Amino acid sequence: MTAEITDALVDESNEPEVVVDLTDAAQEPNAPAALGRWARMRRGLRQFRKEHPLGLVAGLVILLFIVTAILAPIVATHDPSATGRQPGQKLASPSFSNFFGTDQLGRDIFSRVVYGSRISLIVATFTVLVSTVLGTLVGAVSGYLGGKVDMILQRIVDAVMSIPVLILALFIVSLLGSSVTNVVLALSIIYIPRFARIARGEMLRIRNAEYVTASRALGAGSWRIIRGHGIPNLVAPIIILASLTYGQAMIAEAALSFLGVGAPITEPSWGQMLSSSREFMTVAWWAVVFPGVALSAGVLAFNLFGDALRDYLDPKLVQ
Amino acid sequence: MIEYAVRRIASGVVVLFLLATALFFVMRAVPGDVVRLQLADAGSVSPERMAEMEQALGLDKPALEQYGTWLGGLVQGDLGESLWERRPVTEMLTERFPVTAELALLSMAVAVVMGVTIGVISARKRGTVTDDGLRVASILGLSVPNFFVALIMITFASIWFNWVAPLGYERPWDEPWTNLQQMAMPSIALGISVAAAIARLTRSSMLEVLGSDYIRAVRAKGASGRLVNYKHGLRNSLVPILTLIGLQLGALLGGTVILESIFGLPGVGSMVFRAVEQRDYPVIQAGAILYGTIFVMVNIAVDIAYGWIDPRTREA
Repeated sequence: MTAEITDALVDESNEPEVVVDLTDAAQEPNAPAALGRWARMRRGLRQFRKEHPLGLVAGLVILLFIVTAILAPIVATHDPSATGRQPGQKLASPSFSNFFGTDQLGRDIFSRVVYGSRISLIVATFTVLVSTVLGTLVGAVSGYLGGKVDMILQRIVDAVMSIPVLILALFIVSLLGSSVTNVVLALSIIYIPRFARIARGEMLRIRNAEYVTASRALGAGSWRIIRGHGIPNLVAPIIILASLTYGQAMIAEAALSFLGVGAPITEPSWGQMLSSSREFMTVAWWAVVFPGVALSAGVLAFNLFGDALRDYLDPKLVQ
Repeated sequence: MIEYAVRRIASGVVVLFLLATALFFVMRAVPGDVVRLQLADAGSVSPERMAEMEQALGLDKPALEQYGTWLGGLVQGDLGESLWERRPVTEMLTERFPVTAELALLSMAVAVVMGVTIGVISARKRGTVTDDGLRVASILGLSVPNFFVALIMITFASIWFNWVAPLGYERPWDEPWTNLQQMAMPSIALGISVAAAIARLTRSSMLEVLGSDYIRAVRAKGASGRLVNYKHGLRNSLVPILTLIGLQLGALLGGTVILESIFGLPGVGSMVFRAVEQRDYPVIQAGAILYGTIFVMVNIAVDIAYGWIDPRTREA
């Protein structure tokens, strides 16, 4: 321990020498490899663009949503929660000053739709991140270890998957209280089993492969095999599932906000906008159409992207 | 076969038991007490009144004892009493279940008819503009949330045709025409996404079957296109769709909560939603068990039917 620290200190004091060392010894053999990786990625991207133009368009739409969410204060034309007091400012139809019209309180729907993308993307992003990481780990460990651990984990997975998504989410969020964090927590609990199931299936297949037997014969431990052979093989199916789950998480978040248990009412969200439009939608169609179209377009983009990604990463599936 | 069915049902029961138990304890461990909510409704929250109320509702007993009582009742088909309406939950369920069942069945019918038709057309016209259009339509159907479809239908039926569905719910055997008008929009809205999923699977499954050797043999024999496509092709490609139907049922049941609340239908979904807001534990538990049971049982039935339709899967 102390030896390591002193070594590190010595290294730090010799900084210039280390840099020279790097350029001489390390970088030269590494440089072509690094270049190769970039070239490979560029070639992969070009191939994706050629074979899946729709997927590329979907990818650009996703990018547009992300940029809009980040730059919401710049993109929005009005303050999303500023109400209009003058007559004629309430439920105004779409015009040049209010692209998507205004709602029952005279708030600009375009600006609210723009800000609403934030909640939608934040919830979906964190949900997908948490459930991908935890689900893959649980599934990989469960599939690798087998036996009792596997059986118990699988029964829990079955139990979670036997309740409809929306109902389970409703239970969890309303018990914990409405907040963005709790929505993410609830949706993660719901989506973890799907990732676990895919990861487990893939792991069972890998566990009996000959190269894993060879690796074990060479003395590799469980964790090393899961990390070194299991996880790399899981990447493609998990990425595909993640991109398809993204759209579903967006729908689930909107549904919860629609039922009044999602994001806090002070934040503009698409689900809550759709919900409150119900009282006047027959006189102001714009109040229901625009938030809904934004939500559907986002989900569609993720679904198309996921589809293209599947065809690209797993060519076996294409007839 | 029978042994397999028994084993599946037993494991399904274990799953449901786990679910019910977890729900029971989690719900009692989180804040937001039903007693406080009820007294806040009545206007006075004093410690004495709270204790009195807890005793009346049986919530003062230790959690394990409550659990024992509830489990004992469950085994005998007694789901307890609603803490708000003070009447048996089973009674509430029998009143409301037909509404949800009708909605779910109608939307499944919409989904299967639409999905299989679109999938077959798409597969037969593979590579044409029709196929492309239908595939885009299917992925669009998967992406548009059912509650948005429902709102659009209500809005534009009213604006363009000046048509509004009759309020409330009439039972199909009392007022069949009114019932149909009330159920048409929710069933279609709920069925569309499932239809899209079925269409996608039908297409790929049919293309796979049509490319197989036995279909080539049938063609070589000189069978007509119609016979090949429908008798041999479609029939065999319907097998995987059965599994999909079982799995999609979960999404469909979840959707009933939101659609029942939009269309004001007095079904199990809207009951569960209200119970969650009111912390009406027995009703929430009953709802979860009901939804879980339907989902598990239908999927077991699908698996068993699978073995019956396709004998090759029986061994495994």
